[in-house]
Amino acid sequence: MNDMRIAERVVDSMESKITARGVQVFYGQNHALKDVDVDILDKTVTAFIGPSGCGKSTFLRCLNRMNDTIDGCVVKGSIKIDSEDIYDPKVDPVQLRAKVGMVFQKPNPFPKSIYDNVAYGPKIHGLTRNKAELDEVVETSLRRAALWNEAKDRLKSPGTGLSGGQQQRLCIARAIATSPEVLLMDEPCSALDPIATAQIEELIDELRSQFSVVIVTHSMQQAARVSQRTAFFHLGYLVEFGETGQIFTNPKDPRTESYITGRIG
Amino acid sequence: MSAGLLSLTVLVLAVAGYILGRRRAVSVAGGDARKLHSLPSYHGQSVFLFTAVPAFILMIFWLLAQPVYIENRVTALIPNIEADDAAARELAMADVRRVASGLDLAIAQGALQQADLDTLQADATDLRGKLAGVGVALGADVSQYTFDAAREYRALKSSLGIGMAVAVLAVAAAGFAFAWSRITVAFRARNVSESFVIAMLIGASLVAVLTTFGIVFSLVFETWHFFELYPARDFFFSTTWSPKFGGGSSLGILPLLWGTLYVSVIALLVAVPIGLLSAIYLSEYASRRFRTFVKPLIEILAGIPTIVYGLFALITVGPLLRDWFAQPMGLGNSSSSVMTAGIVMGIMVIPFVSSLSDDIINAVPQSMRDGSLGLGATPSETIRKVVLPAALPGVVGAILLAASRAIGETMIVVMGAGAAARLSMNPFEAMTTVTVKIVSQLTGDTEFGSPETLVAFALGLTLFIITLGLNVIALAIVRKYREQYE
Repeated sequence: MNDMRIAERVVDSMESKITARGVQVFYGQNHALKDVDVDILDKTVTAFIGPSGCGKSTFLRCLNRMNDTIDGCVVKGSIKIDSEDIYDPKVDPVQLRAKVGMVFQKPNPFPKSIYDNVAYGPKIHGLTRNKAELDEVVETSLRRAALWNEAKDRLKSPGTGLSGGQQQRLCIARAIATSPEVLLMDEPCSALDPIATAQIEELIDELRSQFSVVIVTHSMQQAARVSQRTAFFHLGYLVEFGETGQIFTNPKDPRTESYITGRIG
Repeated sequence: MSAGLLSLTVLVLAVAGYILGRRRAVSVAGGDARKLHSLPSYHGQSVFLFTAVPAFILMIFWLLAQPVYIENRVTALIPNIEADDAAARELAMADVRRVASGLDLAIAQGALQQADLDTLQADATDLRGKLAGVGVALGADVSQYTFDAAREYRALKSSLGIGMAVAVLAVAAAGFAFAWSRITVAFRARNVSESFVIAMLIGASLVAVLTTFGIVFSLVFETWHFFELYPARDFFFSTTWSPKFGGGSSLGILPLLWGTLYVSVIALLVAVPIGLLSAIYLSEYASRRFRTFVKPLIEILAGIPTIVYGLFALITVGPLLRDWFAQPMGLGNSSSSVMTAGIVMGIMVIPFVSSLSDDIINAVPQSMRDGSLGLGATPSETIRKVVLPAALPGVVGAILLAASRAIGETMIVVMGAGAAARLSMNPFEAMTTVTVKIVSQLTGDTEFGSPETLVAFALGLTLFIITLGLNVIALAIVRKYREQYE
């Protein structure tokens, strides 16, 4: 793996996809996220870095309201996607999650066939009119997740029978099959070996042409390799947010510098 | 020496062995327990086990073999003219045992002397009167050969009792000495006690397995007897069940089987939807506080004695169904009906379905739900398409458990559905099940050897095979459709 490989930093669009202002998150008594303001650009990879428990995953889960499924979790402030407040009572979280896809830390394919895993989202949202269209969606998604060549002969075999890296790519294919506008990835490579990691990272870079990708990672090399924008979280605060090259080479905040040089974490 | 006293003696010996063995191990090591291969308590344990276990095993076998041996010896004393077939011989032996225990009692109370017994002639003295005096009533005067046999019975019993005490104590002492002599610094007492533990565990599981085999074997044996007396074809294919104890009865299983299946199916139709849906609500939607409060309440249903359910069926559900459904619809006017028993039984088995399914649904990893919810599925879509398929094997198991409970239930059927064997589609008519008929064929004063009694075993075996078949089918279904998560 080439650690020196650095993603293209040029951002295609300066349009804001997600705008978060004054976001606060409480888990019961625990104040997990304090006053976070972030603008996530369209067709850009944004990386969230920071030590464990700093709130980066919490913030990620706010973006598709997955925090709603946790008892006692309260979110305050405003998060707008395409200038629509996603915490507005009029917004259906189910509809929102179809638009904001998510890939989890541990590969979690359903105990179904590879085909059914990918077809799951399109089926429940009624995105296709017939079997042929569905087949096409499945094939495109698998191709874009770079899994088609490995999986095309075993579409009917269970998704849980794949290797760890293949399973994670299957989960990515499953997430992009509903054609989301934003893809959230919560440490997608933490359970994978270096080769599978490199494949996923390459994939993320390709996905950037269609989606806005937000990735939480513990690996600063990974953040440097795949992202154009990086946000550093510490103890529930958003410490610094900016262009990835600048964060890693010339951080403004002393805490960011301490973290990326390995002194806090 | 009685068996209880003997066990106590062996136990005392074994405990002494533990203490002494422990002490000897320490002294062998020169007071430094670290030099020993095993901790001193393991040496103690090894002496304890070698003293107690072989002695108890011998005792158990002796106690099992002794009555058989005595029976054989004593039966030989009964003249063949008096007892020419097995049943008569059995009756004569019962007399002998009764007289023998009467003599024991008489001697214990001082009505007779042990020394007199040897010279006593049954016909010369009023033995029957003497025994009646100590509370043992006999049906007829004691004949000489019965008295002789009883005397022999007592003599054998006491001498064998002494023999057993001597043998058991000898084995215990030998075990003690053997284990004691083995205590050295290098002796692996720890491994010895480990192998004893393994042997004990194997023994325990063997007992469970052998018991099952024993039950099946006895069923098969008696069923075989039944089919020698009654044609199997009539049993399996005849549609009438009317046992007559004078003979000439027709014993067709079909009406009973129909009743069993009908009642069980209604019970499952009640229990499975209610149980499964409440399990889904409890595990997926209910708050933690509500769940901890409600789950035990549902489980209470399983703890209510079936006779109470029977009363509920008899005085509440039965009349209710008759007055509001059966009579207005013209389907009959009996308060005991298949419907009554089925509904009440369904209520009884709800907790079997709900409690187990709830546990199984909870065991499906949260990451499955997250994955589905993250794709924009609603909670109910998630449950239907991801959680339930993953929980399927367990849910089927829960339903099967409920089904076997329903098939085996007797009390609710007697009180709710009646005892009339009938082949009918009408759910508001009284019917009965296999289990109820097993009970009614075996209770009461009937000759044990007539087809009317033995049919109970054939019914039992059929029921057993059906539940076994259900299990096998369900296993196959689960294997085919399950979606296994890691």
